Amino acid sequence: MIKNRLLHDVKNRGISAWFLSAVFTAFYLVLYFTERLTPIAQAIGLDSKWTLYGALYTLAVTAGGIHVIRKYKHNRYQVIRTVTVIVIQATFAFSIPLLLKFFQQPEYYFSYFWPLKMEYLTPSYIFSLPLPFIIYSILGSALLVPILGVFFGKRWYCSWVCGCGGLANTFGEPWRHLSDKSTTSWKIEKVTVHAVLGITILLTVLLFISYGTGNTYRQLANFQTLYGLIVSSILAGVVGVGLYPLGGTRIWCRFACPMAALLGLVQKIGRYRIKVKENMCISCGLCSKYCEMGIDVRAYAQANKSFTRASCVGCGICAEVCPRGVLKLENFSPPAATKAKLVQIKTAPRG
Amino acid sequence: MHYVIIGNGVAGITAAFTLRDRDPHARIAIISGESDYFISRTALMYAFMDRLNLRDLEPFERKSYDAKKIERIRGWVTNLDAGIVTLNGVRKIHYDKLLLATGSVPIQPNWLGLESVRTGAVNFVSLQHLEACEQLAPTTRRAVVAGGGLIGVELVECLTHHGIEVDFLVRDSWYWPMALAKEEGEIIAAHMRRHGVKLHLNHEITQVTADAKGRVEAVKTSQNIEFPCQMLGICIGVRPAIDWIRGVTTARGIQVTNSFQTSLPNVWAAGDCAELPNAQIEQIWYSAKRQGELAAKAMLGDTVNYQAPLFYNSAKFFDIEYTTVGAAASESFFHQVPGKDISFRIMHENGAVTGFNMLGSRWDHTYFENWIHERRTLKEVLANLHQAQFDVEFGRIPTPHD
Ligand SMILES: Cc1cc2nc3c(=O)[nH]c(=O)nc-3n(C[C@H](O)[C@H](O)[C@H](O)COP(=O)(O)OP(=O)(O)OC[C@H]3O[C@@H](n4cnc5c(N)ncnc54)[C@H](O)[C@@H]3O)c2cc1C
Ligand code: SF4
Repeated sequence: MIKNRLLHDVKNRGISAWFLSAVFTAFYLVLYFTERLTPIAQAIGLDSKWTLYGALYTLAVTAGGIHVIRKYKHNRYQVIRTVTVIVIQATFAFSIPLLLKFFQQPEYYFSYFWPLKMEYLTPSYIFSLPLPFIIYSILGSALLVPILGVFFGKRWYCSWVCGCGGLANTFGEPWRHLSDKSTTSWKIEKVTVHAVLGITILLTVLLFISYGTGNTYRQLANFQTLYGLIVSSILAGVVGVGLYPLGGTRIWCRFACPMAALLGLVQKIGRYRIKVKENMCISCGLCSKYCEMGIDVRAYAQANKSFTRASCVGCGICAEVCPRGVLKLENFSPPAATKAKLVQIKTAPRG
Repeated sequence: MHYVIIGNGVAGITAAFTLRDRDPHARIAIISGESDYFISRTALMYAFMDRLNLRDLEPFERKSYDAKKIERIRGWVTNLDAGIVTLNGVRKIHYDKLLLATGSVPIQPNWLGLESVRTGAVNFVSLQHLEACEQLAPTTRRAVVAGGGLIGVELVECLTHHGIEVDFLVRDSWYWPMALAKEEGEIIAAHMRRHGVKLHLNHEITQVTADAKGRVEAVKTSQNIEFPCQMLGICIGVRPAIDWIRGVTTARGIQVTNSFQTSLPNVWAAGDCAELPNAQIEQIWYSAKRQGELAAKAMLGDTVNYQAPLFYNSAKFFDIEYTTVGAAASESFFHQVPGKDISFRIMHENGAVTGFNMLGSRWDHTYFENWIHERRTLKEVLANLHQAQFDVEFGRIPTPHD
């Protein structure tokens, strides 16, 4: 009973949740805007506060991931996805960049792409890299990201690869249900996330123009610094993680991430969707409650509508928690391709 | 036109929305004694287990009532006359067309001594029951739940979640013989026991005792065994909520035609409270929803000739998901995945498949329905079973044919 009450408090915006939120926010403020963590990092033999941060981040993803794997051990989608998230965090997002640096190569994160990582399509940065990195950077952002998005939806990135999503789906698991489900927040999200994407594209184009013409504009440099401060530090870090215990785990992904916005647009024309089993929903609301992106999944399920929402990151938890097995994530192939399978025995029409 | 609906359950609200979609100008009022807004009764257990807040039980945003101009009236209807209903014994509400969608109430047993229990005995059907359960749980160490159906298991799961020791008393010789064969009953029984539930088969309560303050203290069963408890969950079934209704013909439920018309002109009934011409009462969510929609259409003047479709349902026993379609038959194919709480049962008769009972994996029941309608053979169905699977990606369970 006491354990239940404590869990309730920390998961439902109780005092302990406010306290944790303050701790997380303070941590990010100290990390981004002071050098206090540098001596700590050096004391344990790490070269910088950023390496310390990377180590803590990887630890949080791993510990949270193990918890998630145990919680959903009966669900192979969750197990495989979570193992992938941990492995990618530990390698591409932590040890490989360190190794690269050790061998005097650029500290490159193969799991990040433009527009999430602005630099990876910023000409002055990428053209300073060795050729293979240039090719990976450009092909990754321009081809790999959208093509996989068409076939698998944004989930291949947002729920399987990305570090922000990775932290949300592992360490953030206790707070995933706090996302706001109202249609009002859906309206706000559409405006803000696309605005950030617009600004990101604008900035990128301007940087290319400035690089191409060989001019350096002071205002552009200021714009870039401001972007880095507001989008990368404050929105992704301080707000994004600091508010986990109060507003849920995907505030950054939902309201501000330019990569999520772009992949969302791709997802809408691609194959990924959530299939709804016809007339089986009991409107219990667990799917909506545990949707970290604030999608009112129940609204679709009780109306028998299979659907694709731009914001859906394909974490698969709606399908996991549904007590009636109503929902299924799928890479839907148009009926023409499945016809061959149906000749032998007539089956139900696809919903 | 003034439409009045009694009961803001799934039948009532579906009817209200259907009426509004078709008639943008009519006055529509929905009356409920239970809650201000429609709630999902099926999710009561998740509220009790703290996986949902009360507000999460509301399937529609509150503003949708205003957006659809549906007036909500809170209170209990106590009387029904031609053209008029009475709220809480005083307030008169006129109607042009009325829908009765009053749902179910729990069946109360006549166990010796139950009448002397003032607190501790609970049902688990309404919001008020949920409140009572939540109040009692913190002072309960041991509980008894009686009744081997679906609501019983849900209550058992909730109480177990709160660390309460539960004796689950089931009258039959295996769990839920009405729907399950012995093998499945045993799979579920073993599963519940692994969750710490003390399941007692062949036990029927005969007597209840209360302490000096009137709190339930123990029950005694047909086998003359006494189970001490501070909470007693009575889950032995539900019946149509029609006790207050006069003036329309009732049997077990409110008798309706195939277009949901009652014996009183301009009065229809749908959902758990309605008894169809073949004396059938469908007490499940999906039927209530379907009936609510069709009754509304009948009220709007459409020709409706409702025939209950092929039965299907789903449930969850702790972690075991269950899908059922169709009906039992003289023969059946049964397969259990070794060592797992996963089983397949396909019932068949005279060469044609008649029903499915599937535990522990996910199925798209619409395939099963088609196969039954098409009178497919067991062989055909087994060979194509994978088409109906609905498991999560990477999680497909091998079928007996794989
Ligand atoms: C705990 C539980 C779990 C369930 N789980 C499932 C499930 O998983 N799957 C499934 O298919 N079915 C399930 N059911 C059954 C399902 O909930 C019902 O079949 C369905 O809710 C019936 O809907 P209804 O609209 O007919 O009635 P109800 O939902 O019962 O609504 C009737 C409403 O009318 C109100 N009312 C009654 N009389 C009056 C009056 N005189 N004045 C004012 N208001 C009145 C009641 O208070 C109630 O709010 C479950 C039921 C319970 C109790
Ligand atoms: S969790 Fe499943 S049954 Fe519950 S509302 Fe969502 S889709 Fe419907």
